[in-house]
Amino acid sequence: MRIAIEAVGVLAPGLPDWDGARAVLAGSPYVAAPLAPCAPASLSPVERRRSSPTVRLAIAAAEQALARTVIAPHDMALVFASQEAAGDITHQLCEVLAGSREVSPTQFHNSVHNAPSGYYGIAMKAKLGATSVCRGPWTFAAGLLGAATQALCDDVPVLFVCYDSPLPAPLSEWMPVAEATVIVLVIAPKPAATTLASWELEVGPADGGVPWPRWMPSGWRANPSARGFEALATLCAGPDAKAALPLSPELNVRVARC
Amino acid sequence: MLPLAVLSYTTTSAAGLGKSATARTLREGRSALTPNDLPWAPLDCWIGRVGAAESVDLPKSLDDFDCRNNRLALLALEQDGFSDAVAAARRRLGAGRIALFLGTSTSGILSTELAYQQRDPATGRLPPGFRYDTMHNLDATTEFVRRVLGIAGPAMTISTACSSSAKVFCFAERFIRMGLADAVVVGGVDSLCHTTLYGFSSLQLVAPDICRPFDAARRGLTIGEAAGFALLERGCGELQLLGYGETSDAYHMSTPHPEGDGARRAMTDALVRARISAAEIDYVNLHGTATAANDRAEGRAVHGIFGTTVPCSSTKGVTGHALGAAGITEAAISLLSLEGQYMPGSPTTREVDPETQCTIALRGETRKLSRVMSNSFGFGGSNCALVFGKGM
Repeated sequence: MRIAIEAVGVLAPGLPDWDGARAVLAGSPYVAAPLAPCAPASLSPVERRRSSPTVRLAIAAAEQALARTVIAPHDMALVFASQEAAGDITHQLCEVLAGSREVSPTQFHNSVHNAPSGYYGIAMKAKLGATSVCRGPWTFAAGLLGAATQALCDDVPVLFVCYDSPLPAPLSEWMPVAEATVIVLVIAPKPAATTLASWELEVGPADGGVPWPRWMPSGWRANPSARGFEALATLCAGPDAKAALPLSPELNVRVARC
Repeated sequence: MLPLAVLSYTTTSAAGLGKSATARTLREGRSALTPNDLPWAPLDCWIGRVGAAESVDLPKSLDDFDCRNNRLALLALEQDGFSDAVAAARRRLGAGRIALFLGTSTSGILSTELAYQQRDPATGRLPPGFRYDTMHNLDATTEFVRRVLGIAGPAMTISTACSSSAKVFCFAERFIRMGLADAVVVGGVDSLCHTTLYGFSSLQLVAPDICRPFDAARRGLTIGEAAGFALLERGCGELQLLGYGETSDAYHMSTPHPEGDGARRAMTDALVRARISAAEIDYVNLHGTATAANDRAEGRAVHGIFGTTVPCSSTKGVTGHALGAAGITEAAISLLSLEGQYMPGSPTTREVDPETQCTIALRGETRKLSRVMSNSFGFGGSNCALVFGKGM
């Protein structure tokens, strides 16, 4: 299964964009730095106020990738992938429901897993199919397959956004996501002059665990989206660079740059 | 697209455990909704409750996954020989060649809601025995079902609110077409919880009485719980998935486009993919949630494509709105209608809102059905239309 990577967006502490990430993936030292609060330009002031920090995070990263591609946002289908998507809202809702039970309507509609893709679609007038997916610790590889199959089957560019945002206590006991990480790919079904690289994707047996990148802060191992950095590293390495992404206890997705 | 054969399917909701009980309820034109008697959510409304799920025991080895959603999932898997059909496919194709795509909107959130009522006042910690990752995270039911069925192909949870378990069919078709799986289990599971009962109430969308889709005097939706599954494989069969369409409204987070623009494009796309004309659809199972905004938008969109000649009904008055499981529930009802050559009605609807533009069938009837459409639309403006047909 061969896809073309048209553009990349990255947001994580110390990695404010793809240029910053590319330097680290190519061997420059990683320097930790707090992630500034996101204020996506495409959200209206009202939507910016209504939306959750997770929504703003995912959209701000998506805007980076859009700025690096000639493909118009309304020509892309959407696949948003996140292990949790709205863990902070879940926490707030459960607190309210354990007390007054006076849920705010905005809080409720922000609690759906597809809130980030919904807000993004409204901001960008993106009217093609939009899907929001989750697969626990295997969310990056699963979401990438979902995006790639859609691009190839429908012959349409796909915006793939995989993100994690911090979970508050007490939920963080089970999913200790302490820092946000987002990886965005603009995927095209066929290569063009603007293509950064093509990836051959193959599903195969897991053959033991996949190591995490050595430069990466160990705290990010709780973030399924951070699995994507191995795939991005192939864009900074030689023409036959390879990466493995865990898809399940039994399966990996193998990424081969070509 | 090439059709996918539906090898086996099952549905469990307030309308019945399994296909024959559900078909009976639909033929009797009976609503399975009841006044809300949930001791933990004293709200003045009706619900579609699957009481039998509450006493289901999970296998000891899957204790960590115990929650209302997974009990409901297991109850549904045990109906209609569904698990056996998957086991047969597993032996024939290999576990690694069967993928799994499930839709849910709230997964096992009830467990977390109840755990928050028992937080340790000193530390804020949740009670022992609670596990967030396997009881509530959106993937909890997908991983549970994967283990129960013993399948090991690619798996994913699709969560686009009320279109979640319709969109699983689109994923199945694409993964089979790209050779990533030979067969796919699709489904959806959503269960009653505080979040949706109080959340939809906060939006003033929950009816104080029974929901009445497209009724002039409708007052909102009735929330139900449901689980359903289908086993799909490439090729022709007695029942087939013929087409699907997915679009976004890009209009508002919780209100549909007033003209049903996204809904209309999803239905058109499904017809194009199925390579059939609107006139070849014999029945449309509407999303029909019984909120004024949703019904009117959908009615306009359906009328724009089908005019007034194709009969439509909403079965939400029978089952309630199962949210993330609505897509699979109504896909199963559409398949039942093809199998039984019986078009279900809208039994709780009394007088159709004169602003409705499509043709609402109040009563069910025996009818020749070759191809039917099922609509599912969700928060965030996420739309999906499916076309099912009888094979040769």
